[in-house]
Amino acid sequence: MDIKREDIIHLAELSDFSLSEAEITFLGGDLRGIINYISQLDQLNTDDISPTYQVFEMKNVWRDDEIKEQEANREQLLKLTKDEKDYQIKVPKVL
Amino acid sequence: MKYLPTIGIECHVQLSTKTKLFSEVDNDARNKEPNSCVSPVDYALPGMLPRLNGEAIRFAIRAGKAMNCEINLESRFDRKHYFYPDSPKGYQITQFYRPIIGAGYVELPSGTRIRIEHAHLEGDAGKLTHFDNYSLVDLNRVDTPLIEIVSQPDIHSAKDAHDYCKELWRLMRFANVTYGDLYNGNMRFDVNISLAPKDSDKLGVRAEIKNLNSFRSVERAVEYEIVRQTKILEAGEKVIQETRGWNDATGKTTEQRSKEEAKDYRYMPEPDIPPIHLTTEFVDEEAMRLPLMPVDYRKKFDNVIANDTLEVLLDYPELMLKLGEINEKYAKNISNLFASVLLAEEKSTEYLNDLPSVKDLTDLAEMNTKKELSSTATKEVFLRLFDPQMKGRGSKQIAKELGLIQENDLGALETIVDAVLAKPETAKAQADFRAGEEKVIGFLVGQVMKESHGKANPSAVQQILREKLK
Amino acid sequence: MKIANKTVTAERLVRDALEKAKHFSDYHIFTFLNEENAIKKAREIDRKIAAGEKVGRLAGVPYALKDNFLSPEGETTASAHILEGFVSPVTATAVKKLEDEGAIMIGRTNLDAFAHGSSTENSYFGPTHNAFDFDRVAGGSSGGSAVAVALDIVEFATGTDTGGSIRQPASFNGVYGLKPTYGCISRYGVVAMASSTDCVGFFAQTPDDMDVLMSIASGQDSKDMTTLPDYYGSAEPESTNKRRIGIIKDFDNESVDPEIQKALAQKVELLRSRGHEIVDLSMPSLKYALAAYYIIVPAEVASNLSRYDGVRYGFRSKESTTLNELYDNTRSEGFMSENKRRIMIGNFVLSSGFYDAYFLKAAKARTLIIGEYEKAFSKVDFILTPVSPNPAFKLGEKVNDPIAMYLEDMMSVSLNLAGVPGLAIPAGKNKTGLPIGLQLVGPRRSDKNLIQFSKELEEND
Repeated sequence: MDIKREDIIHLAELSDFSLSEAEITFLGGDLRGIINYISQLDQLNTDDISPTYQVFEMKNVWRDDEIKEQEANREQLLKLTKDEKDYQIKVPKVL
Repeated sequence: MKYLPTIGIECHVQLSTKTKLFSEVDNDARNKEPNSCVSPVDYALPGMLPRLNGEAIRFAIRAGKAMNCEINLESRFDRKHYFYPDSPKGYQITQFYRPIIGAGYVELPSGTRIRIEHAHLEGDAGKLTHFDNYSLVDLNRVDTPLIEIVSQPDIHSAKDAHDYCKELWRLMRFANVTYGDLYNGNMRFDVNISLAPKDSDKLGVRAEIKNLNSFRSVERAVEYEIVRQTKILEAGEKVIQETRGWNDATGKTTEQRSKEEAKDYRYMPEPDIPPIHLTTEFVDEEAMRLPLMPVDYRKKFDNVIANDTLEVLLDYPELMLKLGEINEKYAKNISNLFASVLLAEEKSTEYLNDLPSVKDLTDLAEMNTKKELSSTATKEVFLRLFDPQMKGRGSKQIAKELGLIQENDLGALETIVDAVLAKPETAKAQADFRAGEEKVIGFLVGQVMKESHGKANPSAVQQILREKLK
Repeated sequence: MKIANKTVTAERLVRDALEKAKHFSDYHIFTFLNEENAIKKAREIDRKIAAGEKVGRLAGVPYALKDNFLSPEGETTASAHILEGFVSPVTATAVKKLEDEGAIMIGRTNLDAFAHGSSTENSYFGPTHNAFDFDRVAGGSSGGSAVAVALDIVEFATGTDTGGSIRQPASFNGVYGLKPTYGCISRYGVVAMASSTDCVGFFAQTPDDMDVLMSIASGQDSKDMTTLPDYYGSAEPESTNKRRIGIIKDFDNESVDPEIQKALAQKVELLRSRGHEIVDLSMPSLKYALAAYYIIVPAEVASNLSRYDGVRYGFRSKESTTLNELYDNTRSEGFMSENKRRIMIGNFVLSSGFYDAYFLKAAKARTLIIGEYEKAFSKVDFILTPVSPNPAFKLGEKVNDPIAMYLEDMMSVSLNLAGVPGLAIPAGKNKTGLPIGLQLVGPRRSDKNLIQFSKELEEND
């Protein structure tokens, strides 16, 4: 299938980063090659085969509804952010 | 109006589990400091994995059953991707492909049925507060369990939209799966509305009004949209499909820029949570926990309790539960005390959590119907049943102590009446009455009441007087 | 391990390890050396031993930690710029279990950023060099850990294996490397690459050491809902007599280096001579494993890397006046090209319009691959294959050819898709002295027998 320049840019947007001209060129080339490679799956017949998303037979794994001491508290977590104000994470204005 | 509005509503209900959907932190962030209910999992540190709260599954089953919905025995979670600071993982864990709650319906007070398309379990998002050139992020609400209830486009009026939302709110409260605190956003509504010519068989272009948090705003927003869209269509123009916001102050909806431009959520099965396979036994066990629902009470109390009174009381599961336990012949009596006395009280919300026993209420109603208590006396005793000093003593005792029991013993009354009639100061009144002056009977009754220290039953006294003065 | 027979003190062991680590600094093995804490902990262990107090099974044993395991000791960066400065307040379950037994982390090892790669050349800190040839790659993504064990800086190191990231560097450096059954060891606190294939495992110098490590690290964890109920410790060791070993015929084609084929043939002969039965297997779907892998894994990668946005931790790009710029700049500057490549592929196969043709298709292919392994293990006890089609290649040789790099994983990825365990075993060297590795594959939950049986492949000379 044919991957155009604007497709590459759209994928970068979906990924929430932008690409330099150089990246558009070489990543674009790589992507075409890779997509071409993975497209060989078309040759595999998967009629009436159900998909597998997790490789084991486990199900119904859940916990009790009880409050527990957590491994890290608010101070430890907020310490990790670059910008904090009034116990909240500060980010530039949404535009 | 030559256009028919068609309305579908998506309702988010915050579940009142003790802990969050995927971590063991306090799920009730009301009046708590920002980011004080956040675990490393909610904060989405690298390598953190969801830890599913089994209680949320049970809540979802009850919520589904309350809406007459199929429960899908096999369900699982999916990831919905978008970038925004209210979503620390960069995706919301929801149920896109295999929701736990299937099709069902909600019956409005009017009897109209609104079909439920499905409802799914998902995690809520965090909260941003915007300032001039920055925003602050509070993650307390992240992954509070939600169920999103998706209706079919079966609603065709602002009133039905209002009634549907209110009935949902009641169902969720009766099912006891949410605090139902609208002010704190425990329930939020997204309304899809389109207009089409009455005769046309296909729908018009719809607008979505997001994040309404009261029944009234739902009703007003729909009313506004009907007018707005009608104008557009009348002018021969086209309604554009868009998301709009509701401004309660101006009473207008305005177009709203959507959170992220590319609306491609790239749904993917959640690999960190094993699928859910329920047994019918498990589902039924939860269904058994449901109390009577509003629709059941409407049947039960049809012709017993006045409709408008009942609809008022149906906003209070606690009152209905109590009323359900009361012998039916007293239900009307008690329902009136609930509706006109209890709910009128300032402290009514406190009172709701500490209602009198069935016996106290029954005794009270009995005394009232036996005319041992006047209606005013009944109200007084009723209120004393909430008074920490007195309530322990029971209605009968309280009535006695307050000396509110009416004298109904005719024999006893007759002697009092005779005594009064023997008094010279009543002679004139007696004569005037015999002469046909009706109104003086009031004076004589008054005298008897005084003699009986107010315990006599006035109507009984009047009867005796009329006999004697024939 | 050494400390078990108390010939030396823990402090001696730790100091030696740190010395060696510095001696080999030009190999770029470590992203962080834990000198202060390590020595402090060693002294505490020595004190306990002297006082006759009880110590753990790994008391005083120095080890290297792949830098994608969270712990408060040093920055956890996954060798990625975007995690720069991140010191974790939480500890990965696997790390906790090792430390509870007295193991001492002397340093964090280099990897391809976010474990995206098969050579450790995609590291923000620069490539790690092969233990046997400085001009060649260490393999990847757990290159630092493999070389640390190969150069005997430590006796064991942790790794993660999503498609070969333990087995391939193990084979490139001549050590044992185990990718356990999926769900055997908790992933809690391990920087996620692809949730449905990620496995925590180890590099070790002997099968017996591997067994000790597994018995310590394995087991169900309430913090990881995908961990299996404990089975490793309770597993009954089966007899290693007269086992049936499968050889996958679909693989012996020109794509595999002749010397590696020869090494495989020799081991097959050895097994025959020891009375084991060799069974030819045909597993036709496996040739689609790599394509399925490079759909499923990038999809999960794109998803798992969505949380790196500069908002809550790690690197945040300075010049951002709006939120969109913050996200865009942070992710543009913070990710390496290979990260971007995989994120974009992931978003491609998940995007509306392509989901069914790619992601769903691959999920179905996965079902077929699992079925083929189940069928195979109804005929044989283990399967023996090469780990990679070639020995360690030259630094820079494939770095600009992603497909050639992906082909490195040809023989390793199918195990991850199927969730079965695989043990990379040293199988001699080629003419130029580069190690050759073979992998022994078993059915799910056969990890212990796999380790025991691997001794059958050791020449006793």
